[in-house]
Order: sequence, then C-alpha cells, then structure tokens
Amino acid sequence: KWKGEATTQNLESIVIGRCYDYIRIVNPAVGEKNCSEIWEAFKNAFINKDPCSILPKDYELFINLSLHTIPPNKSLFWENNQLLVNSFADRGRRYMSLGDTLFGFFGDFLNWCGQADSAGLDYESCPTTEECENNAVESFWRMASITYAQHSSGVIHVLLNGSAVGGAYPDPGFFADYEIPNLQKDKISQIVIWVVDDIEGPDM
Amino acid sequence: DKDCLKIWESLKHAFIYKNPCNITSEDYRPLMELASHPIPCNKSLFWSKTSDLAHRYTKSNQNFLTLEDTLLGYMADRVSWCGDPSVPGINYESCPKRSECESNPSSVFWKMASKMFAEAACGVVQVMLNGSVEAGAFRSSSIFGSVEIFNLNPDKVSTVHIWLMHDIGGPQSESCSGHSIKRLKSILEERNFKITCEDNYRPVQLLQCVQNPDHTDCRLCTNTT
Repeated sequence: KWKGEATTQNLESIVIGRCYDYIRIVNPAVGEKNCSEIWEAFKNAFINKDPCSILPKDYELFINLSLHTIPPNKSLFWENNQLLVNSFADRGRRYMSLGDTLFGFFGDFLNWCGQADSAGLDYESCPTTEECENNAVESFWRMASITYAQHSSGVIHVLLNGSAVGGAYPDPGFFADYEIPNLQKDKISQIVIWVVDDIEGPDM
Repeated sequence: DKDCLKIWESLKHAFIYKNPCNITSEDYRPLMELASHPIPCNKSLFWSKTSDLAHRYTKSNQNFLTLEDTLLGYMADRVSWCGDPSVPGINYESCPKRSECESNPSSVFWKMASKMFAEAACGVVQVMLNGSVEAGAFRSSSIFGSVEIFNLNPDKVSTVHIWLMHDIGGPQSESCSGHSIKRLKSILEERNFKITCEDNYRPVQLLQCVQNPDHTDCRLCTNTT
C-alpha cells in the first residue's frame, strides 16, 4: 500500500525496553520516568489517525514526559554522518547527540506508523516522506530536533560531512530547518563547526 | 528466530527463589540453549582488562564480535540480578559479590556464556589485552585465562592474534615479549594453535587517540612512515 518500510516488529517491547535501559543504565541521572506512560503518549501521537496527517505537536505530551536536561557544552548536531556521530559521542559520555537523549534514544533506527479507523500499528508498510511529509516518523524527528535545539546550551558542536554530494551543509535539512531556528541565543555561547571528509573520500 | 519472552522466562527461572550462593551452570542450561547462535568465523574478539576499548572497537568495526555483541551477552551486559528464597523471589536490594560467594547468579552466568562463546569460535580469533596493567597482561585468574582459552576448539580455531594495548601515555608494564605473554603462548601452542602478537594494534590505538589526539603516539606520521 505505501512505499516505505513497515512498522518495526515488537516496537512496543523495544521502545519500553529502551526507556528502562536508558533510565537505569545509560543515563540514570535523568531520574525516574514512567516508561509505560511515555509509550502511551508516543503511541497516541499517531494511532487511529490518517498516517499522512501526523504533526510534530502531536508528540508534545511524549516530549513533556521524556524531556530531561541536556548538560551544557555537550550538544552535538550533525548531518550525513550518523554512524560517525554515534561512535564519537560514545553513548553520551563524550557528547550527547539527539540519539543519546531519552527522547531520541527512543526512536533511533526504528520505523512506525498507524492507520485511520484502527488502533493498530501498520506492520505492512508506512508512507515515505516523498509520499507525504506529515507522517509519524518525520514529525517525530522534527519535534525531537526542535526540542533538542531549544534545550541545548553553552558551546555547541556541529559535525558535517565534507564528502557529501550537495555540500556539507544541506539546505533543506533537519539541522537547517528545525535546529538552527530553535537555538536559543541567550543560552548558547559559541558554535563550533567540524567538517570531516570520509577517509579516502572526496573533499567536496 | 528467537522467542524473547521464552528467553526471559528461562533466565528468570535460573535464579528466582533460589539461594543466590548456590547457582550452578545446570540452572542456565535452558537459557543457553534458547539464546545461543552461531558466530561467523574469524570474528571472535576476546578481551581481558580492556572492556571499554574492546567494545568501542566492535561498535565501530562490525568485523569483530565480543561476547557482549552476541544475543546472550547483549541482554545481560551491565545488568545485575539475583534471587532470594523469600517473596518476591528477586532481590532488588543487593546481590552477593564474587568475594562473598563464587556460585552467584552473575558469575555463573558469565562463566558459562564465556565458555560457550569460546566453543563457538572458529577460524582466526583475536584477543585484546592490557599491557599497562601491573598484574600482567595475561592472568590465569581472569575468565579469558581460566575459561576461554581452554574452551577454544583446536579443530575449529587455527590462529590466535594477540593485540597488546598500552594506555596512551600509560605505563608499558608488558609488551609482546613479556613474561605473561610467553606463558599464554606456551599454553596455546600446547593446544596446537598458531599465535601472533602485536603491540598497540594500530586500528585500536587510533580509537584511544580520540581522547589524546595531541600525544606523540597519536601523530598521523609515525617513525615508520
């Protein structure tokens, strides 16, 4: 029906498990969170709705329940180098990228969507962003990126890919459209940009 | 395909309501059978006193797998558990340390999982040891030294590559020509394995250099280039 990958199998178990993994082991400093409540808020953002009508603000409750402080000087923004960022951030020990926050950790590498007139998740297929922009996953990351930018402070770092076709700074892109506009001038002292080329890759 | 709920149940039954100082490998047999899976040849990475570094390496290089990158190890990593005869059967307050009793649920688990990880290895295997530790890079009291090397199968494993890593700017307590490495080599040679040893295997050292980019050992052009 849709062109995109279906909802990840066992999504609920994975997401709730990740929540506990995060609050008990990865970053217990965030304190007590109600993982079942967070899952419900996450799910309610997109189930029983037209999968092409999901908006970032549908995830507002989810964000409110899973939000936590991001230590100053630890934010790491990026474009076109997710694996490198994950490696470099070292699960939040060196830097805390969006994927190292509770709300980002929740959804990383997963896929999901619902269907109109049904409380079930769609395990057959999901719309791609080309098919419709306002889909569950796209809106999730938009909301998460906005939140991440708004709560970043101190010296912030951006890791860009100097070998990327089209340029190291993609515009349009998540960083350009949802993060830069939401950086708080009064909380940020400096922006450090790193442009890294792929080893043996082109220097664009 | 694995049944995760069944796997959880078999883990739980291994220790729930039991005296946490009386756990045996038999308790874990159902779990081990349900959760084990084959490991591709030439990819096994053993480690001793190099946990952080070994795991950072396998995260950036999918060509190697530590025990903690297999299903069993992945599930149990950084998690602790123990039971108690009284309700609710799981002790959320404290668990016995190895020094309090050896047959505790965690120690028995890791010993058994390590044995199986070694048995499953084939082809060329790697081990990352710490040459900056005072007690020596290879110790017979470690899981590697007491369980893993004795469970490598000489009919399946041909060679053991030792990567002897020093902390950047740290003491060079031992190198490939060191005493404990000689002992490790003789134990392995006696079991018919070929051995190689390399000081500061460069790909792994480069990971260490992320923390110390200005150290002389981390210059891109070394004496050999």
